[in-house]
Amino acid sequence: MCKTKKLKEENITNVCEEEVYASIFSSHSKTIFNYIYYKFGNEEKAYDAVQEAFIKLWENCSKVAPHKAKSFVYTVANNLYLNVIKAEKVRLKHREKAQNTEYESPEFLMEQQEFKEKLDKALQDLPENQRTTFLLNRIDGKKYAEIAEMEGVSVKAIEKRMHLALKSLREQIDGI
Amino acid sequence: MEENYLAKWLNNELSEEEVAKFKATKEYTSYKKIVDATNSMEAPTFDMAKAKRDLYKRKEANETKVLTLNPYKKYLRIAAVIAVIVGISYFYNAPTNEIVNTQYAERAAVILPDDSEVQLNADSQISYQKKNWKENRNIDLKGEAFFKVAKGERFTVSTDMGMVTVLGTQFNVENREGIFEVSCYEGLVSVLYNQKETKLSAGQSLVVINGQLKTSELANGHQPSWLQDESTFKSIPLKFVLDEFQRQFNMEVETKDLDLEQLFSGSFSNTDKNLALQSISAPSGLKYKIEGEKVLFYAETP
Repeated sequence: MCKTKKLKEENITNVCEEEVYASIFSSHSKTIFNYIYYKFGNEEKAYDAVQEAFIKLWENCSKVAPHKAKSFVYTVANNLYLNVIKAEKVRLKHREKAQNTEYESPEFLMEQQEFKEKLDKALQDLPENQRTTFLLNRIDGKKYAEIAEMEGVSVKAIEKRMHLALKSLREQIDGI
Repeated sequence: MEENYLAKWLNNELSEEEVAKFKATKEYTSYKKIVDATNSMEAPTFDMAKAKRDLYKRKEANETKVLTLNPYKKYLRIAAVIAVIVGISYFYNAPTNEIVNTQYAERAAVILPDDSEVQLNADSQISYQKKNWKENRNIDLKGEAFFKVAKGERFTVSTDMGMVTVLGTQFNVENREGIFEVSCYEGLVSVLYNQKETKLSAGQSLVVINGQLKTSELANGHQPSWLQDESTFKSIPLKFVLDEFQRQFNMEVETKDLDLEQLFSGSFSNTDKNLALQSISAPSGLKYKIEGEKVLFYAETP
């Protein structure tokens, strides 16, 4: 009886189990995609990073404990382009959430459009690590601690990046 | 202002007082505007279903690769371990216990350092010291084995039921739960059971069942029949016969309404299961039924 119980527990905690693997995929694939996209502004590379990270997870499923799987996939995705695209110019384009603009005046809309363009430009000019951290927090709603885990740095470092990111965004937009 | 106050403000970690102070700065409106704008931003669409399909396609393609590589790696690992063990035992020649064992439906032949031969029947084990073997020929036995002993010093087979000593001869020792049997095929064998010594010459055998010692003449030739893939019994309680069947065919034996103490004389094949079943059941007036890996013996209803 003891034996069957133990077997069951093993099953639950094994990444090679289809169910466990699939659930890791559905909870982290989107974030990995965004993470790599914020870094490099390239959707194709972000998509490939997701594929690569999860293939690697499957190949190593017996060696990776489930609670380590998350940081495993982020590390693989991150390492993938470590030496590749530093030089490429980042071209971010964000979608806007559908907004109710019925009552806005044309002047306001134009001003808003202008502001958005400025913001996009300012985001592109941010250092890669500040931009990634800032957008993971703002768009994906990731907590500082989670981002720290993904990036492999301290929470304090993430706070610093957030602070600097917002500071330089304002300075750029206000034209200081 | 506090260090990294912008990060703290975004995370609602600033105290009311600090927030008020921050709101009073001229930059506040700009910060607020930026943060509000980021609130309406979204990342590009990620087609998770498509990503999953693509991934599983690659996963399947990879699967075969992984499967073919892995066992090879495993063997390499085993080979490395063996190499290390061999290496260590070569340099560090400590007295080590050699152990050979067999599972159900398995047999093994062992050549001892002095060229004596041991044939192990199913579900049996021998252990001995390789070092100084010629001066100290001592083997521990569990189960059943046939020995062809080269001439030399005294050769001893120890079992938990009794001890068998010889100088050079051929003999069989069976030591199973409840039964201890020694058959001598050549030369002279001395059996020590219960502090009592019995000498067996060629063609004699000794059986101890449930503490009862009996000697008898051997029915056949020069070797125990199991070496010719046959199990032979002479007035042996049925339960030991069924145990032997279980060992030879690795099948679970169950019985129903049977007198397991009734004596059985005869033999069965160790290779042909159906023939063996018939050899056991017909002379004893039994019936049997096979259910997968199990066989059930039951009394023939009159």
